[in-house]
Amino acid sequence: MIIGENIHKSFGDLEVLKGVDLHVQPQEVVVLVGVSGSGKSTLLRCFNFLEMINEGSITIDGKKVDTKKDNLTKIRAEVGMVFQHFNLFPHKTVLENVIEAPITVKKMNKDKAKKLGLELLDKVGLSDKADVYPSKLSGGQKQRVAIARSLAMEPKVMLFDEPTSALDPELVGEVLQVMKQLAEEGMTMVVVTHEMKFAKEVADRIIMIDQGTIIESADPKTFFENPQHERTRQFIQLVE
Amino acid sequence: MFELFGTVFEVFMRTYPGFLEATVVTLQLTAVGVILGTVIGLVFALMKISGSKILQGIANVYITIIRGTPLIVQIMFLYFGIVEIYTMSNFWAGAIALGVHNGAYIAEIFRGAIQGVDPGQREASMSLGMNRKQTMQRIVFPQALRRSIPPLGNQFIITLKDSSLVYIIGVAEIFSLANREAAQSFQPFESFIVVALYYLVLVMIFTYLLRWYENRLDVDKT
Ligand SMILES: Nc1ncnc2c1ncn2[C@@H]1O[C@H](COP(=O)(O)OP(=O)(O)OP(=O)(O)O)[C@@H](O)[C@H]1O
Ligand SMILES: [Mg+2]
Repeated sequence: MIIGENIHKSFGDLEVLKGVDLHVQPQEVVVLVGVSGSGKSTLLRCFNFLEMINEGSITIDGKKVDTKKDNLTKIRAEVGMVFQHFNLFPHKTVLENVIEAPITVKKMNKDKAKKLGLELLDKVGLSDKADVYPSKLSGGQKQRVAIARSLAMEPKVMLFDEPTSALDPELVGEVLQVMKQLAEEGMTMVVVTHEMKFAKEVADRIIMIDQGTIIESADPKTFFENPQHERTRQFIQLVE
Repeated sequence: MFELFGTVFEVFMRTYPGFLEATVVTLQLTAVGVILGTVIGLVFALMKISGSKILQGIANVYITIIRGTPLIVQIMFLYFGIVEIYTMSNFWAGAIALGVHNGAYIAEIFRGAIQGVDPGQREASMSLGMNRKQTMQRIVFPQALRRSIPPLGNQFIITLKDSSLVYIIGVAEIFSLANREAAQSFQPFESFIVVALYYLVLVMIFTYLLRWYENRLDVDKT
């Protein structure tokens, strides 16, 4: 579904990604872990072309993306992204947040979009909040709206960048629950998270990034019980 | 003290018909200054964020010149530069000077407001497949507009007070009236107290309206 090959990304002199290869199969749930600054966010942002890679290639749903020629706007619409800080549109109601892109980008008619929006809000358990503004929501509710907003574009793959890191502990569960449900429905997902319980239960594969390269890639059981790399062992000790 | 009260009141009663007329002129000057300034400000703010070096350069030159020179010089410049060449009333020369002056400040207000919108908003919008134009129009500008309302209100009040400077080219607004009154009546002190009161009341009404509008905007959204 997403194939990254030999991805290099630098900010000025700082090389953040040093040749990352990552193949994400359709319906696969990949959890990305790594210490702060290892390049996890940068990798996700490259997959969504919020950052442009310096070298290597990204293929999405069988199409190799040429960042110079291709319409990146169109490609971004196929790759959903959920941010740590939600980034809901504060001047729009919850429902307006969800239907903004279908109406603006897909030119969906308003009634149809509203119907879709309400369905998605129902799916994340927030249909009663359709008409309130985001500022009235808790963090967990905001993040569930953000997920619904991404889903409204019917993306082929969803990227999550620490979706629960900004939440109070008691609100983490409701968001992970929604993500788990998505995974069960067969959504292809790449998730950066520190929630190891989620990783163990939901991930098909856990990938450890260290200083801009992938050093470990294994199913959860192997990852935790028989890690190959010393840095992975240290990391596991740190989080457990 | 009571004596002063009395003479101020006397001057007020004698001059209010003229002052009311002049107040209309002051408000007209302010309105043109604000509207023209907002249009110019919007254009130059867009030039500054356009990413085009040439447009940015033009906007920078304009803003630097306007902010680097006194309004009264700009008024004289426009008056002698334009009224002399094209036939234009003093009122319009003054009003346009106010607009051009304001434009530079309002451009900076808009630019600041646009750049002050959380970059995460742009990213979220782009990640949903909205292009740059859609992102600007539907996500960034509406938020920037809200952010710019308080400083814009402030700028409007400054414009109201700055409009007094066009007395120099003989526009019959309230300050020039007070000036004339002061000279003719030999009661300069009272005349300027009266005109100060006019400005004060106008500014208070303006401030009140702005606050009411800001509150109304905030009611349901935050
Ligand atoms: N736009 C940018 N400009 C310059 N440097 C950047 C930029 N974005 C990221 N970096 C740097 O790249 C490195 C990797 O950042 P990245 O955000 O990908 O790390 P991360 O693994 O997501 O870390 P965290 O767990 O803290 O979120 C860091 O050193 C960061 O300072
Ligand atoms: Mg990160």
